[in-house]
Amino acid sequence: MRIYAAFVYLFLYIPIGVIALFSFNAGRHASQLQGFSVQWYGKALKNPFVMDALQTSLTVALVSATCASVFGTMAAVALQGMKGPVRVGFDLLIYVAVMIPGIVIGIATLIGLVTLFDQLNPALAAIWPGGAPPQLSMGYGSLIAAHTLFTMALVIIIIRARLAGMDRALAEASSDLYATPMGTFRQVTLPLIFPAVLAGFLLSFTFSFDDFIIAFFVAGSETTLPIYVFSSIRRGVTPEINAIGTMVLAASLVLLITSQVLLRTGRRRG
Amino acid sequence: MTKDNDYISKRKFMEELDRYRRGSVTRRHFLGVTGLGTATAVLGAAVPALRPRQAWGQGSIGDRVVLATWPNYHDPANFDAFTEATGAAVDVNVFGSNEEMLAKLQAGGSGWDVFVPTNYTITTYVGENLIEPLDAARMPNFDPAAFDQRFAGPGIVDGTLYAVSKNWGTTGYAVNISKNNDVTPTTWKEFWDMTMDSFSGRTMVHDYQLTTIGNALKYFGYSFNSVDPKELADAEKLLLDAKPHLFAINSDYQPSMRSGDAWMTMCWTGDGKQMNRDMPEIVYVLGKEGGELWSDFYAIPKGAPHLDAAYALIDFLLTPDVNAKEAAFHGYPVADSRVNALLPPEVLNDPILYPAAELLDALEFGAAATLTDPNRAELLARFKSA
Amino acid sequence: MTERGRNIFLLAPAGAWFLVMLVIPLAVVLIFSFGERGPAGGYVPAFTLEQYANLPARWAAFKNTLILAPAGTLASLLIAYPLAYYLAVRADARWKTVLLVLVIVPFWTSILIRSYAWIFLLGGRGIPALLAMIGIEDVRLINTPFAVLIGIVYGYLPLMVFPIFVNLDRLDKRLLEASSDLGASPWRTFLQVTLPMSLPGIATGCLLVFILLMGEFLIPAILGGGKVFFVGNALVDLFLQSRNWAFGSAVAATLVVLMLGSVTAYMRLIRRLGAQREDVALM
Repeated sequence: MRIYAAFVYLFLYIPIGVIALFSFNAGRHASQLQGFSVQWYGKALKNPFVMDALQTSLTVALVSATCASVFGTMAAVALQGMKGPVRVGFDLLIYVAVMIPGIVIGIATLIGLVTLFDQLNPALAAIWPGGAPPQLSMGYGSLIAAHTLFTMALVIIIIRARLAGMDRALAEASSDLYATPMGTFRQVTLPLIFPAVLAGFLLSFTFSFDDFIIAFFVAGSETTLPIYVFSSIRRGVTPEINAIGTMVLAASLVLLITSQVLLRTGRRRG
Repeated sequence: MTKDNDYISKRKFMEELDRYRRGSVTRRHFLGVTGLGTATAVLGAAVPALRPRQAWGQGSIGDRVVLATWPNYHDPANFDAFTEATGAAVDVNVFGSNEEMLAKLQAGGSGWDVFVPTNYTITTYVGENLIEPLDAARMPNFDPAAFDQRFAGPGIVDGTLYAVSKNWGTTGYAVNISKNNDVTPTTWKEFWDMTMDSFSGRTMVHDYQLTTIGNALKYFGYSFNSVDPKELADAEKLLLDAKPHLFAINSDYQPSMRSGDAWMTMCWTGDGKQMNRDMPEIVYVLGKEGGELWSDFYAIPKGAPHLDAAYALIDFLLTPDVNAKEAAFHGYPVADSRVNALLPPEVLNDPILYPAAELLDALEFGAAATLTDPNRAELLARFKSA
Repeated sequence: MTERGRNIFLLAPAGAWFLVMLVIPLAVVLIFSFGERGPAGGYVPAFTLEQYANLPARWAAFKNTLILAPAGTLASLLIAYPLAYYLAVRADARWKTVLLVLVIVPFWTSILIRSYAWIFLLGGRGIPALLAMIGIEDVRLINTPFAVLIGIVYGYLPLMVFPIFVNLDRLDKRLLEASSDLGASPWRTFLQVTLPMSLPGIATGCLLVFILLMGEFLIPAILGGGKVFFVGNALVDLFLQSRNWAFGSAVAATLVVLMLGSVTAYMRLIRRLGAQREDVALM
């Protein structure tokens, strides 16, 4: 059993090792070791396109994870205990949003928004009072909106699972004691679901930060880090990509450890 | 044995081209042929005052420029030099087919400043309103008279300049002859037959309708540009038969050829030259039946976010000494006589770059119809998903 | 504020989001799937079933997806289960968290870069070169369905390990002890106690991996050399190369229907198999 586990860990880490090893390659080629160097780390950090892509990815991930957590939590709380057609409709939408492959979300968003913008832009130009009217186009907005769609559905599911396990009597007791609904939410519900909200936020952030396929279709002229990596791979890999990968891994590790610590404190409070 | 009879020298090549040319010989051409061009260029490089005005060195053009181009098509050192001189970093995006570039531009907001379309696509870009007319005044190093019209001509549509010539070349195939008992094949028929026989599992074709379908059409002796349904059906059958024997369908074949995973691939001039330079056992073959003769261009897409930087980059890359460095690196011929004057004779006599006249005569330029023909697009997509 | 007013306020942002980003785009896909390709690509309005009639031209892509998605899911399960079991039941409690984190860490590098590492490992200078050293010549791995399968298992293993681990970890160890006290062999204990109890975890893991695999594009693109084609690759091709939005929409719509159909059938099956949870939680 232990030997088996060791083999699986080998399987998991050999490719990571290869990536890290070649990031210290002195030569240009990613498949032949030609001495030790850290120059590719310097190159990656100095490359404005890498830094730009990183910034885009972080912004998009942060904004979409925030939107997803806030709106997802709101919806989950409202849906809790709700019945009737609204509930059924939302359940269906959440189900569809989560089941649909990312590539279809990407394509649908692309052609949906391009079609929508084609209708809206002339209308906007017609009613715009003087000056050049703004042109709606694919970019930050579409990227954030598409990521939020998927991650919001995830957040709702996670929080609902937490709410389902929650003792309803607590909320009822709170309102019996004449707490306002908002007060009940702030003082009773929110602390209880907080770990789930945090987990949802982190999951959304990770998803958005790592997403390639949706961004590939809807990013317009923006470049996220995965898109940059993809085009670098096509350009012929230099160890710069390996350096980026190794750095992202290291940063992720730090983030992972931090989130674990946070989650634990959250749980202790909950 | 002298190769002069087998291969065309640079001068002969120019004469050869003159036959295609309608007008009389230009002054530039005269300078180039007589060697006066070289003298001017050398003098120009030595005496700064005689240097062409450098638009790319003046004023602020921003800190970045985005280029969409093809695999292995630039000397990275030149981009470093550009960044050094202007402060603008170059982001290089690589594409494997003109269709992919067109699709990206059609979907809106590509974010590119400069892209590299092939001759036969430019009219479509103009028709779709995706390409910016070029202002020659913003490219002081662009000298229309220095360019061979056969290759530079498609950059002008209805009298408007939309694109300036980058390189020209051929589409043949590269084969590792050490895997073929040192025998060099000579035809597209052999390419496909070997693929399905001794080279099974070792051949690559482009992820590109024009060349992959075109060179399959050549197997039957049809036109490279055919859109005839019956001929395309024959090509499709060949492609589907060959598919199980392919190593990969990919327009970036150098890594696989160099690592020895692939032994033969459809190939463009410069890739053939680059591989042959490092691994002499990889030779470049032009199929006797014909195939593609092409020329690539620098152009600016509509809505380029960094227009000043775009002009600066094009102008920089067209500077004869920069362009000569590019050519020496990537091994694609240049249509600019000022650049040829700077290139060493062994480059100008290289049979990979300047193939024998009878091989060249059999080649065809890509036709615009292939880009928009729905059957060819769908055929390639079917072939890939088969 | 009334409860009704409160609910409208709480649901409005999510509802608007679903409408603009899900309902409208999917409706556009559906409409486009009955249209035609424009002369230079894209879409022109029409009402025709031509695109759906043309679907057999992508049969191979659907077939590859429908074979390799379940196969990849199964392979991931077979490799992940023993590991999850080891982590939950056998591993030293002190090391448990560390070992678990080590399973997730690779998941935090871009799947692009991780898949890319396999190009080198499976290419001529990687594993085949090692095999040649011990006398197994001429092994070809890269650009085969096997390479894609490796990439899939590698890419999605953590997603499978995690839910199964969580499930097994919650399992009351006293049950296992009781079973062996009553004289059941370890194998029998596993089959009759552990495995049935871990079914929800298995169900969740398989669902997660299967959903992602049905829309997979990257792994076949990187490790399949353009030869192992999934529906996802066909879609990228249709939208980003041959610019046939109408046919692409028909393929996408078909994929969605297949997806919803198979997942719904799968959930029914799981429920019937006795998993208690009403909705197989996604995380």
